[in-house]
Amino acid sequence: MLPLSYSVRNVVARPTRSLMTALVVALVVVACTLLLGLISSLKHTLVSTGHPLNLVVMRKGSDNDGSSQITLEAFQSIRFQDGIARDAEERPLVSPELVVQPFFRTRDGGRENVLVRGVEAAALGVHDDVRIVEGRMLRPSAGEAVVGRGALGRYADATVGSELEFGRGRWKVVGVMESGGSSFESEVWVDARELANDARRPFPYSGVRLRAASAADLERLERRIDADPRFAIEAVPEPEYYRKQASSANTLYVIVIGIAVLAGLGAGFGAANTMYAAVQSRTAEIGTLRALGFSRGAILAAFEVEAVALSLLGFALGAALSWLLSVALSRWLGGIAFGASTFTTNVVTLRLSLADLGGALLLALAVGLGGGLGPAWRAARLRPIEALRRA
Amino acid sequence: MAPLRGVRYPLRMPPADPFPGPPPSAPEEATLIDIRHVSRRYRRGVDEVHALEDVSLRISPGRFVAFMGPSGSGKSTLMNLVSGLDRPSEGEVVVAGQSLGDLDEDELAAWRARHVGLIFQFFNLIPVLDARDNVALPLLLTELGKAERHRRAETALRVVGLDHRLDHRPNTLSGGEQQRVAIARAIVTDPDLIVADEPTGDLDAKNAEATLGLLRELTDAFGKTIVMVTHDPRALRFVDEVFHLDKGLLLEGSDAERASEAIRLAAGGHASAGARP
Ligand SMILES: Nc1ncnc2c1ncn2[C@@H]1O[C@H](COP(=O)(O)OP(=O)(O)OP(=O)(O)O)[C@@H](O)[C@H]1O
Ligand SMILES: [Mg+2]
Repeated sequence: MLPLSYSVRNVVARPTRSLMTALVVALVVVACTLLLGLISSLKHTLVSTGHPLNLVVMRKGSDNDGSSQITLEAFQSIRFQDGIARDAEERPLVSPELVVQPFFRTRDGGRENVLVRGVEAAALGVHDDVRIVEGRMLRPSAGEAVVGRGALGRYADATVGSELEFGRGRWKVVGVMESGGSSFESEVWVDARELANDARRPFPYSGVRLRAASAADLERLERRIDADPRFAIEAVPEPEYYRKQASSANTLYVIVIGIAVLAGLGAGFGAANTMYAAVQSRTAEIGTLRALGFSRGAILAAFEVEAVALSLLGFALGAALSWLLSVALSRWLGGIAFGASTFTTNVVTLRLSLADLGGALLLALAVGLGGGLGPAWRAARLRPIEALRRA
Repeated sequence: MAPLRGVRYPLRMPPADPFPGPPPSAPEEATLIDIRHVSRRYRRGVDEVHALEDVSLRISPGRFVAFMGPSGSGKSTLMNLVSGLDRPSEGEVVVAGQSLGDLDEDELAAWRARHVGLIFQFFNLIPVLDARDNVALPLLLTELGKAERHRRAETALRVVGLDHRLDHRPNTLSGGEQQRVAIARAIVTDPDLIVADEPTGDLDAKNAEATLGLLRELTDAFGKTIVMVTHDPRALRFVDEVFHLDKGLLLEGSDAERASEAIRLAAGGHASAGARP
């Protein structure tokens, strides 16, 4: 076997060409990590399975409660339907909610959008996976907030006893909630009416979550709400709602993987081109190595290693570039507005995770191995005497 | 040039010979290279080039021989057959008792690595490796550890008088120095046979003489068998024997003598072919 240093030094021996090729790989790595980071951030706002007896009521046509709004009349009409479960005090389990996404300052000086959910007293009854684990639930009209376990400490002043600053007001943090890892844990909850005032929303609610008394009631409620001619609203079972959200993210994954593969193919051709040129210019050298007794396998391996070294250089450049970009984006722009129909109001930040970098690394390796295969194969198949004649 | 006879030359290969066969050169016949009725034809488009036609010759161990002849006469072709880089269209090449036709491609490569040292006209050093690593290159095909490979490479470089250039890359060395590095690479595995195709073809007069002198000393001091292709009339003073080729045929008898005479005349009469027994 030829030593690693042989392959690496040949990459270094033609700095311009190597750097150009590495830059192409780097750009693919940047695109790949940033897109994957985008989806990861999106996904983490969507993780939930939902309760089988819960219904999500939204304006017809919106498939995300961030993009929906509901009038007070519509809410009242829903609230007094039959078949809704009740709590110990016989109040219906109907939770009107308002979702806004203001910017929060993160601890490390960046800015991120956080999902702030305006709720009323019924919220904890309907979302019964949400528990207050520290402090207490917020009181209405008191300027209070509870923060999810995930948001706790991530943002400036998101701790119990501190005052959070977002929108136009200040909010006193009185509790911390957990929900078994679902997306509520990255939210901040405040009083719905206060939030509507603060956000100057014409309609107090973006949607309603309710708990049906039984599966049969759920179906009946769903049908009745959908059919009500007075309000353009519709009801979706919560599990289905989250499935749809997740599947749009999965579609995005497929799209991103598709883009990554296409970009990777392009970079692979770039790497192949460079390596073909290397084989061409080192034909006599390959002949010499074969003459000295190195096997075809050794030549193949040396050129594959060279191609991979090239793509790893690209990966290193790309990873550094992505990191710089993600820092810059979250610091100065606050994030990237995401325009897909499902996420009209979602603004997500790019967070570079190790998993995304890992994905990009795999892609870079594939680019190197794939792009290097043709040239390495050609090098390995050169007949020594003919290669030597081209000295 | 470094004084060779004083240098210890501990370049023994590790034991385990992967090609057990008849012991190399039984004393009574004393033949290292036996070329039997060898022809080599190349296809070039529709017609065939007869690069070698029915050539037979024997070379004894410890001899320094030259193949000479006009351009295109088949010298390189013959040499490539001797070194196992190429295979004859007809006939048989036996080196140190091993019939090369019995080995497949990878076995032949391994055989070359173990038994043949190669020297080229254009040195063919690896540009990205320094002198020591270039010389140590063939040792990568052995089981020797890195320290031992370096030690042997340094010894080989001492033999050629270049142990002060260990860390120099080829492009920082003169032509003569590069060829000496290449010679060190050819002897580092302590091969039975050294094969050199026009080793002085790209060197000036002074370096050509030095290289020929070095090869001569390899034979005298270490008993190496050297087969060299050359156009260089100076070579006549250094070699034991010359084989003349013309149009793919080996010249014999009066034809060979006439060819030798022509070369002596070209050299201005100083050279004396076959001066050594
Ligand atoms: N791979 C090949 N394919 C086709 N023809 C070849 C090949 N190698 C050599 N020949 C031909 O065979 C003949 C002998 O070539 P060879 O290289 O052995 O000559 P040479 O004596 O070494 O010449 P020179 O002194 O120019 O190096 C030439 O006519 C050459 O063109
Ligand atoms: Mg030749």
